[in-house]
Amino acid sequence: MNIQTTTPKQQVDAEVLIVGTGFSGLGLAVILEREGNRDYLMLERGQDVGGTWRDNHYPGAGCDVFSHLYSYSFRPNPHWSRTYSKQPEILKYLQDTAEDEGIYPKVRFGTTVTRAEWIEADDLWQVETTTGTYRARALVSATGHLSDLAMPDIEGLNSFTGKMMHSSQWDHDYDYTGKRVGIIGTGASSIQIAPEIAPDVSHLTVFQRTAPYIVPRRDAPYSEAQKGMFARFPEVLQDFRKELFWGNESRFPQRLQIPAFLAQIEEMSRGHLEDQVADPDLREKLTPPYSVGCKRILISNDYYPAIQRENVTLETTGIDRIDETGVVLTDGTHVELDMLILATGFEATELPIAEVIHGKTGRLSDQWQDGGQAYACTTVHGYPNFFMMLGPNTGLGAGSMIYMVETQIEYIRGALQYLFEGDKVIEPDREAQAAYVKSIHDRAERTVWIAGGCQSWYLHPRSGKLTAIWPDYMSQFRKENGTFATKGYMVRDATVPA
Amino acid sequence: MAFTSDVVDGEITHDGLTIRTYDSAPHRRGEDTIVLLHGTSGSAQSTYWALFPMLADGRRVVAFDFVDTDGATADTYADQARAVIAALCDGPVHLTGCSFGAVIAAHLAGTTPEIVKSLTLIAGWIKTDIHQHLRYDVWFKLHEEKSAAMPGFMVMTAFSHAFLTMRLPGEVDALVARIGDGSDRYAKMVFNRTVDITDAVANITAPTLVIGCTQDQMVPIYHSKLLFGAIENARFAEVPSGHAVAHERPSHLLMLIRDFIDEPERDAPGTVHAPIHA
Repeated sequence: MNIQTTTPKQQVDAEVLIVGTGFSGLGLAVILEREGNRDYLMLERGQDVGGTWRDNHYPGAGCDVFSHLYSYSFRPNPHWSRTYSKQPEILKYLQDTAEDEGIYPKVRFGTTVTRAEWIEADDLWQVETTTGTYRARALVSATGHLSDLAMPDIEGLNSFTGKMMHSSQWDHDYDYTGKRVGIIGTGASSIQIAPEIAPDVSHLTVFQRTAPYIVPRRDAPYSEAQKGMFARFPEVLQDFRKELFWGNESRFPQRLQIPAFLAQIEEMSRGHLEDQVADPDLREKLTPPYSVGCKRILISNDYYPAIQRENVTLETTGIDRIDETGVVLTDGTHVELDMLILATGFEATELPIAEVIHGKTGRLSDQWQDGGQAYACTTVHGYPNFFMMLGPNTGLGAGSMIYMVETQIEYIRGALQYLFEGDKVIEPDREAQAAYVKSIHDRAERTVWIAGGCQSWYLHPRSGKLTAIWPDYMSQFRKENGTFATKGYMVRDATVPA
Repeated sequence: MAFTSDVVDGEITHDGLTIRTYDSAPHRRGEDTIVLLHGTSGSAQSTYWALFPMLADGRRVVAFDFVDTDGATADTYADQARAVIAALCDGPVHLTGCSFGAVIAAHLAGTTPEIVKSLTLIAGWIKTDIHQHLRYDVWFKLHEEKSAAMPGFMVMTAFSHAFLTMRLPGEVDALVARIGDGSDRYAKMVFNRTVDITDAVANITAPTLVIGCTQDQMVPIYHSKLLFGAIENARFAEVPSGHAVAHERPSHLLMLIRDFIDEPERDAPGTVHAPIHA
């Protein structure tokens, strides 16, 4: 036995630590696992995989992207039950993925990251968690856009003595049957919840600040024949997936406010409203005051009908405050409630994970005071061997986030291979990062998110910059950010063999 | 409807004809320009309502409406394109044609190579074959009879099964209602029956991208493969689509064309593009 030939090695727990086991982290793990070359561990604050699809299980929760597109291309599922699957089926898909691909043993559940710090002297990331310290050569943040909830800033919110819950923390033990229920917000979650609970409650008040654009939901179950065909002809499934992808891709020109494309989507949403709502006053209330696409376009066939139920009120008077028993409107009216649902979304522009990540230049959230910035939308100057999935400028207005996830998976896979095969430490060059971020913001100027005259969760609250959304075609994202190359990076040899 | 908010409409006179032109950025006249030749349906708007503004996001684009004349030939149509290019462009252009427009573009590139910097041929063909003649026979019969079946026949043959089956019934009805009775394309249909640009195609030297559509029932992809076979300096890409690819998959065309025009010679002659993965 030869014990004295190697230099002392700084002990690491894994080559790579992945924080988060939602669609992005899990997808990366599957590829690393299949490749078989990387030693990785996953840290997960919850008790199961699934991320946003584990947490968001409110009544009616489902995805607004076709399931055959909103799933991994490397793990197609011929058995999706319908065009747009509901949350349980999506979560099951992710759980099955983790099980079948052998990911579960790699996950440390119930483990919340409290601080992750780059130790320059040892060329490693030291990650403090609620269950102990982990060290690794590379760190991947895969904590998502829609993981930390946003609470409304309303006076007296916490004085409400009835049942209050955020849509992403639904308490199924509470029975809303026969209750007076209020829901704040008219975004993607709210318009799924309202139709689902309306038939059971005594009265539902939907508090609307800004009406959303809504288009028809082309949703239908897949027949057994279709499922069998997809199973027996995987290429037919892939062709279908591509058809869906390019359909979405051809909607991006709406965001460029190209007249012909705007006319199409405006006609579609106006036609939907006119088909479903006869009362002109209600139509007026449900007509958005901003350019189409500036905020997320929602798809629903049952929201407008739900709003017109006898036991439902669409309240457009502003909220002044909340008290013990309900909501006080700006005109002084008091709306008595037993239950208040906060369907107010997530912290998408200021990602909470940035609060705990410390690189050579300090805390990431401090670097990102004016909004997130990353090279290739994935790496950050001052944060060596660090990769962020679904970080700055990776969100979409029309499309499947899984395409973005898979693009980043391939980028990070290539980078990790480069790091570990050559024992390297990399970080993007400051100027390269600045130039790249500028190119994104220049592109954003011509989009509806900047030019469309609305405040959305896509914009950074202080700088007003578009930091949540990718302001170009998805194909262009993959072209620019889908393959790792050392151009734009500062590269050096690791001081300690990995 | 205008292609973009700042497109400039104009007209030029050529051989006694008035040709309507569309220029996305006249102030960028000295720069590389994409010139779009439209299809049988009759106008730049009807073929390129999507692709013109998409390409114009970043590049200068020029298009125009062909004018039909009695006894028109590939060369008389190509002359109109040459006149527009001479009037609005400095230096060789990136020439893009779709369907009938691809036939004219190929003819132009083979006969006046000096004004073509790159050539993109979408769903084009070299010589009309017997399969096409069968469809033309049906089309002309429906036209002569002023048949109410014409719009449905045109939609059915133009669009792919995949595209149509993704639409709601009302949306397919709207496609049929909008396509018209076909009389606006009669003159070009007469021309289409007689296409044979074999000699011109043999002389194409510009870097070329041939795009064929896998579900094309009007100009089957076989014709694009023939073009690829005939043009030495060509690359080939296929798009899963019907003949109406500019309506079905404008973003897919955009990616292929942008990528090609950025560096036309990047891929070696003879390259067949791998399908784009989603």
